[in-house]
Amino acid sequence: MKRRTVLGGALAAGAAVSMPAYLRAQSNKKLSILTWNIADQEALFKEEFAEFQKNNPGVEIEWLDKKGPEVPVFYQTQLVAGTPPDVINTQGALWVEYAANGALLDLTPFVQQDAEVAKRFNADYLRNWAYEGRNFMLPFYITKTLLFYNKTMFKEAGLAEPPKSFDEIMSHARTMAKGEKTGLLTLNFDWLYWPFFKMEGVELLSADGKKAAFNTPKAIEVLDKLAKGTESGAINKISWTGRWVEPNGAFASGTVGMHHAHSPAFFFFKGQGPWVNADTLGVAQMPGGWSTPNSHGLGVSKGSKNPELAFALLKHMTSDKWTAEFIRRRNVLTGNAASDQAGLERLRKDDPLTARVLETQLEHTDKMTGNWPLPFDAQLKDAFYPEIQNAVLGRKDAKTALADAERVVNRLLSRRG
Amino acid sequence: MTSGARRPAGERPHLFARKRVRQTLLVWCFLLPSLAIFLIYRIIPLGWNLVLSFQDWSPMRPARWAGLDHYEEMFFHDEVFWTAFWNTLIYMASAPLGIAMALGLALLVNADIRGRDVYRTIIFISYPLMTVAVAIIWRWMFDERVGLINYVAREAGLVDRPIPFLNSFTWALPSVIAANIWQMLGFYMIILLTGLQNIPQNLYEAAAIDGAAARHRFRRITLPLLKPSLFLCFVIGMLNSFTSFDLVYVMTGGGPARATELLVTYIYKLSFVQTKFDYAAAVTVFFFVLLIVVAWGANRLSGGNAGAVEAD
Repeated sequence: MKRRTVLGGALAAGAAVSMPAYLRAQSNKKLSILTWNIADQEALFKEEFAEFQKNNPGVEIEWLDKKGPEVPVFYQTQLVAGTPPDVINTQGALWVEYAANGALLDLTPFVQQDAEVAKRFNADYLRNWAYEGRNFMLPFYITKTLLFYNKTMFKEAGLAEPPKSFDEIMSHARTMAKGEKTGLLTLNFDWLYWPFFKMEGVELLSADGKKAAFNTPKAIEVLDKLAKGTESGAINKISWTGRWVEPNGAFASGTVGMHHAHSPAFFFFKGQGPWVNADTLGVAQMPGGWSTPNSHGLGVSKGSKNPELAFALLKHMTSDKWTAEFIRRRNVLTGNAASDQAGLERLRKDDPLTARVLETQLEHTDKMTGNWPLPFDAQLKDAFYPEIQNAVLGRKDAKTALADAERVVNRLLSRRG
Repeated sequence: MTSGARRPAGERPHLFARKRVRQTLLVWCFLLPSLAIFLIYRIIPLGWNLVLSFQDWSPMRPARWAGLDHYEEMFFHDEVFWTAFWNTLIYMASAPLGIAMALGLALLVNADIRGRDVYRTIIFISYPLMTVAVAIIWRWMFDERVGLINYVAREAGLVDRPIPFLNSFTWALPSVIAANIWQMLGFYMIILLTGLQNIPQNLYEAAAIDGAAARHRFRRITLPLLKPSLFLCFVIGMLNSFTSFDLVYVMTGGGPARATELLVTYIYKLSFVQTKFDYAAAVTVFFFVLLIVVAWGANRLSGGNAGAVEAD
């Protein structure tokens, strides 16, 4: 054996022994991360992960990105196989079911141990990821609904201000609807339409969550007005049937007066609608400041073999440095309060319209609705929304639709115990 | 093949020395890989599905015996199930319509006309297209704002306002059925065309000499001799209706308000959207039984010997 080989081996062994214990323990550890339709940020993730690996030698990171509908299917099959990804990114209320059924790790102890982590987030957005008082996820990027309006159509219709109440929304919509033009659009998935009910004081469930609470005279009145508005053309029918592309595409065409959507919709219709600029697009809160969040969070699977390391990756990804980079590259807010403020500051100079849209995401965060932490959210949505569709698209009157929805929802609640 | 040495009278040959045994073994050797795959990917999941339908189970909690709970829920309380069942029957019933259209086209392109090969290709080309692509094409065709159908209808003065085909309770299911028929038309046509070309021409000549009119030749010669091809189309059409998930899912997602919900889309949603794999298993068992009943009915209609291979 050559002297150089012996010397090299001795040096390597010495380095390994002198390495801190926690670093030695994690050598050859593998972390897998599943993200939700964000493949466009590959470059960012590569840089983030490279830095994490530099700080944690021997750690391998396997990144997998799936389109939205594929994420739950993939995650569930991995759970059954006993190989869930260590870190998972989910949208909306999907995480609650995972948390309630023990698939996600309770991050509360980790957050409590690390005061800096707890403090970095906007408290209202962090609360969005709590189930039974425990935090199962951390904010990854945040969105909630707002009201976009076409200033040109407002001007043509003689409307000066965005609506201040539900009735004003309806009257504004009626005023602008003419021929090809319609007055209002809303996104409908994941309870995004709920602010229309909430601003009129309608609750979905009773306070104890055991019974449907929505079948009230006020709810019937609201639904009836939405149905009549849809029938007359004041509300665009795509509101109740399209998911994301169609309603945003319709607003991009410049023939719809108002659009109730979450902030990512802005980038879509701005890209499609040449008319969209700071002079023509108005941005406002819904009456009462109500909105429905539809944020993305990061959690750790309970089945992770390296939970501490997985949390360290979460901490790394939500750090000031990387959230600031994320905001710069993707024009989103992240729930990291310092980075969000810095990002907005920059955008106010560079792109005031985008800044205004994103500012709404940090306003009235105490008025977020439709984000009930219910483990059976998907089933509840599936029981409730088709009846709303039946009413707004004219198959049933509002009273019958809500009574039918109440019956189905109560049956679901009673079966869930 | 002859055996080598002669054996003393009365001595039984070694088991593997027998030709029939060797042939049987060879057949099994060829069959085994396929059978193993069939067992692993079809039979075992089917059995597991049946067991699952009597349990409370999700990927996140252990199984618990539920007896007939899911079946009771399905038959007596689940309105969506019955809507999806009814829609599936309507969707299935549309298959003969597509077959009738394909028969008309097959007769046309079987006639001695110029450029018939081009017509055949044009008609067939819809079939090899990916179903998702077909769904996206038709979704745009039916679009309220930019769809070709609405554009033509309005230009021709047939309608004042665009029809929200996929967003209407009245039009959504017929629209999806139309897209399905369009995709299958070419396939049906090729099968029927092959059948037509196998009918001996002398039968038509003899009938013509006897003075039989065209419609009589069609009824007395074409239809009876085309029966196997028609039956094949019918069976494929039925099965396609049952499994037409991608087309419906991409075009309407089962909406609006369940107007285009089929059993197969409902099963998917129960499993992967609502995480009710156990209940979805019960609906799948019903779906499987329904398929068997339809296949049995189709077999009876064909004279009871569908799939039989004539012995030499």
